[in-house]
Amino acid sequence: MAEPAGLYVHIPFCQEKCEYCDFYSITKLDQIQQFVDAVLKEIQLRAPNFQDTTFSTIFWGGGTPSLLSHEQISAIWQTLHDHYSIASDGEFSIETNPGTLSPDKLQHIRESGFNRLSMGVQSFNPEELKSLGRIHSVEEVLINFENARTAGFNNINIDLMTAFPGISETSFRHSLDVATGLSPEHISCYTLIFEPNTILYKRMQLGEVSPLSEDEEAKYYLLAADVLGKHGYVQYEVSNFAKGEARTCRHNLIYWRHHPYIGFGPSAHSFYDNRRFSNKRSLMYYIRSLNDGQLPIDFSEELSADDLKFEYIFLNLRLREGVSLKEFQYRFASDLLEEHQQTIERLLADNLLQVQDDHLRLTESGWMIADTVAAHF
Amino acid sequence: MKINNIRNFCIIAHIDHGKSTLADRLLEHTGSLQNREMQAQVLDSMDLERERGITIKSHAVRMEYKAADGETYILNLVDTPGHVDFAYEVSRTLAAVEGALLLVDASQGVEAQTISNLYQAVDNDLTILPVINKIDLPGAEVDRVKRQVIDLLGCEEEEILMASAKNGIGIEEILEAVLERVPCPEGDQDAPLEALIFDSHFDSYRGVVALMRIFNGQIDEKTKIKFMATDTNYEVEELGHLLLKRIRSKKLHPGEVGYLICGAKNVRDIKVGDTVTNVAQPVEKPMAGYRQVKPMVYAGIYPIETAEFENLRTALEKLVLNDASLHYEPETSSALGFGFRCGFLGLLHMEIVQERLDREFDQTIIVTTPNVVYRVLTTDGVEHYIDNPSKMPAPGSIDRIEEPYIDAHMITPPEYIGNIMKLATEKRGILKNQSYIDPTRADLHYHLPLAEVVFDFYDRLKSVTRGYASLDYEFLGYQHSKLVKLDIFINGEVLDALSVIVHHERAYDQGRALCQKLRKLIPRQMFEVIIQAGIGNKIIARESVKALRKNVLAKCYGGDISRKRKLLEKQKEGKKRMKQVGRVEIPQEAFLAVLSADD
Repeated sequence: MAEPAGLYVHIPFCQEKCEYCDFYSITKLDQIQQFVDAVLKEIQLRAPNFQDTTFSTIFWGGGTPSLLSHEQISAIWQTLHDHYSIASDGEFSIETNPGTLSPDKLQHIRESGFNRLSMGVQSFNPEELKSLGRIHSVEEVLINFENARTAGFNNINIDLMTAFPGISETSFRHSLDVATGLSPEHISCYTLIFEPNTILYKRMQLGEVSPLSEDEEAKYYLLAADVLGKHGYVQYEVSNFAKGEARTCRHNLIYWRHHPYIGFGPSAHSFYDNRRFSNKRSLMYYIRSLNDGQLPIDFSEELSADDLKFEYIFLNLRLREGVSLKEFQYRFASDLLEEHQQTIERLLADNLLQVQDDHLRLTESGWMIADTVAAHF
Repeated sequence: MKINNIRNFCIIAHIDHGKSTLADRLLEHTGSLQNREMQAQVLDSMDLERERGITIKSHAVRMEYKAADGETYILNLVDTPGHVDFAYEVSRTLAAVEGALLLVDASQGVEAQTISNLYQAVDNDLTILPVINKIDLPGAEVDRVKRQVIDLLGCEEEEILMASAKNGIGIEEILEAVLERVPCPEGDQDAPLEALIFDSHFDSYRGVVALMRIFNGQIDEKTKIKFMATDTNYEVEELGHLLLKRIRSKKLHPGEVGYLICGAKNVRDIKVGDTVTNVAQPVEKPMAGYRQVKPMVYAGIYPIETAEFENLRTALEKLVLNDASLHYEPETSSALGFGFRCGFLGLLHMEIVQERLDREFDQTIIVTTPNVVYRVLTTDGVEHYIDNPSKMPAPGSIDRIEEPYIDAHMITPPEYIGNIMKLATEKRGILKNQSYIDPTRADLHYHLPLAEVVFDFYDRLKSVTRGYASLDYEFLGYQHSKLVKLDIFINGEVLDALSVIVHHERAYDQGRALCQKLRKLIPRQMFEVIIQAGIGNKIIARESVKALRKNVLAKCYGGDISRKRKLLEKQKEGKKRMKQVGRVEIPQEAFLAVLSADD
């Protein structure tokens, strides 16, 4: 079977910016059409380089892809399919904000060909939604979740957030309960990160808000794993839970398993042929470059053998399954256990790593400090 | 050049009062360098100096100045270091000149360091030219500062020069005043050679370059010379003057300042303060004031990576080529492995060495807690000098421990006497005498343990007296003290590099403070870290660093894996800058924790 490969489209628009978010998006919605014209050009411009690859996933993220009109969605979808070889049994995901959805919109998205829907819910407590700066209400989530089912989506993800200032054990349990009650196929549960260059970070520097302690963060993280586990969700990645193997996010697995992907849109990243490259994080620059027939490249780096190995290890360690020793050997012609013998022996002795079924994987205690463990390689 | 047309002078100033800027302006005004070839503050040539705004080593520069009277004069400006660690170098520089510009900031006024250097200058019979600088700044209080200067020097108001070095105001006046008021040097060209070395540095191509002032006699290339203190003979290879670079000259005459190259390969061979004379016709005795500079403070320097030991040795070998006051010898620590015991003039000197090793030689090192040298008498009647607390003999075999004391004078306006006494008492000082130089200045005479002074005493003194007090001291001798060795244990293992000698009455407080400090400095690890302080086998304080609970970033930034990789690589870098002691990773700062344990 051919190696999986993914296509990503970044839709950099939001009705309002959330204080914590550091993904590139702007609120000038009158520029959406110009963006769509540009991204169509980029999709065509890049196509000749990837004619040998069959792509098994498409993922539209953002920003808020669901802000696009029917016509805009169809145009991008069609252009992707016209210029790239895309597997018919692929996974086609789109991120949405529940406040931008309607039965009609969901119907259109489904009919376009998307077969996986991701809803940015974050919390099921109205006051938390408000303080996080979300535009949607709890009711909109509940209604649109049903609408999505009606539209034919049988693979839905709900994004939840945890360990943010103001959260309580009670409120988080409530969010988990409502989420599991809806029974989506997939739940992503992210611990809030204070990212530089966000309003939230500024507010922290001003002393208005402070991150939860490490111990508190750990508490919420374990609570999520526990509750979701009891409802039959498998934690297949640090922040991701799915109802069984078949419901894992194939597109995100491409990132974690070090498979190639091509990103379109401002700030989008790509990984192909041992090279990582990205587009400029500016819509103006993006549009101008493409109008001139140029790619809006920001940076491009050729990964060294050491970079590749290190990435392969730390990315796969994020997965429950761990690093496949066989695949490591196959990719790098090197025995991982030998190459890092001392480090691995120590981490095994500390019960942070384990070797099982020809995989090197984190133990329960290692899982919690995966970055510390990864930094040993 | 006639001796009457030479003027030798230096600038005395507190840090930040504008010394380097003034030097730049003087060079510019005399046409000694073009604007564009000038990097601001040319005299401070080491990066570190420019960054810290302090002059570490002295330098000299020669300017030709066509004066208002139509004659051309040679002005030699000798720069001086500005910190108590380098007091001896300052004294030798002052001995090489006839005059000093006393530079005072118009808004800051006279400060302690200025005063102590000024007194030294006066002791050396230098002519003092007061200059008030930065007169055009909004905060300038020219009248107040003038009164201070008049009180200090007993001079007339008209003698005070006004300047703004930054904006080139008053530069001409300063140059003319130097000609008019600073006496020209005196000397006998036909007398035996007598020259004073006031600085030396290492040039990778030419070996040691010494800076000297000729007092009597002459010196030519090929002259066979003798350094009197080290009793070594050399033949002069090259002589000359210093502009911004060396300008070769066949001969130097009395009154002149210049450089000397004679094939010496190590700065240790040519000592600051030594007298150069002619082998064929020597002076009878060397000039007064020479002193062998001894380290006051010792600390261990260790590579973070044990494999880097040889590279560290090479770096130190190169470093001492132009830092004669640094001493080092190999030692081993059970916790840190192979390293060096190094002797420094003081803590600033230690910090400078640490930074130079890092920047110039790319050495990532641990510096251990500094200490003084203790004299220990064991019960078998043997005398030991201990420059490393971990080498302290077992408590049972010690008869007595003595520590170095100093004889210190602190000169201060009377309103700060109370503060100084409080500080000195806290530092175990013994008041010997209190007297008044005049109604505005008291002289507090103390005996103090050197160990208490070398750490933060000088900074504390400045802070409790708003910078007005000055400190001068000399070594008094060893005195018996009730001292104990305080050990630090990390997960049960003694970390010898953290051992300190403390007064027994303070052991408990210091042990507690040290453990608390270490708890803050040692990051959470994959397991719990227990920190204990003990005397002998007795544990007197305990803290713990809880095991790391959670460290995993929730997301991988969409497809931006590069960012995630860089974050992890930063973590890896951070680990590299920590010392692995047993299984515990300890950051560099922790080894100096004792210095700030009072915070």
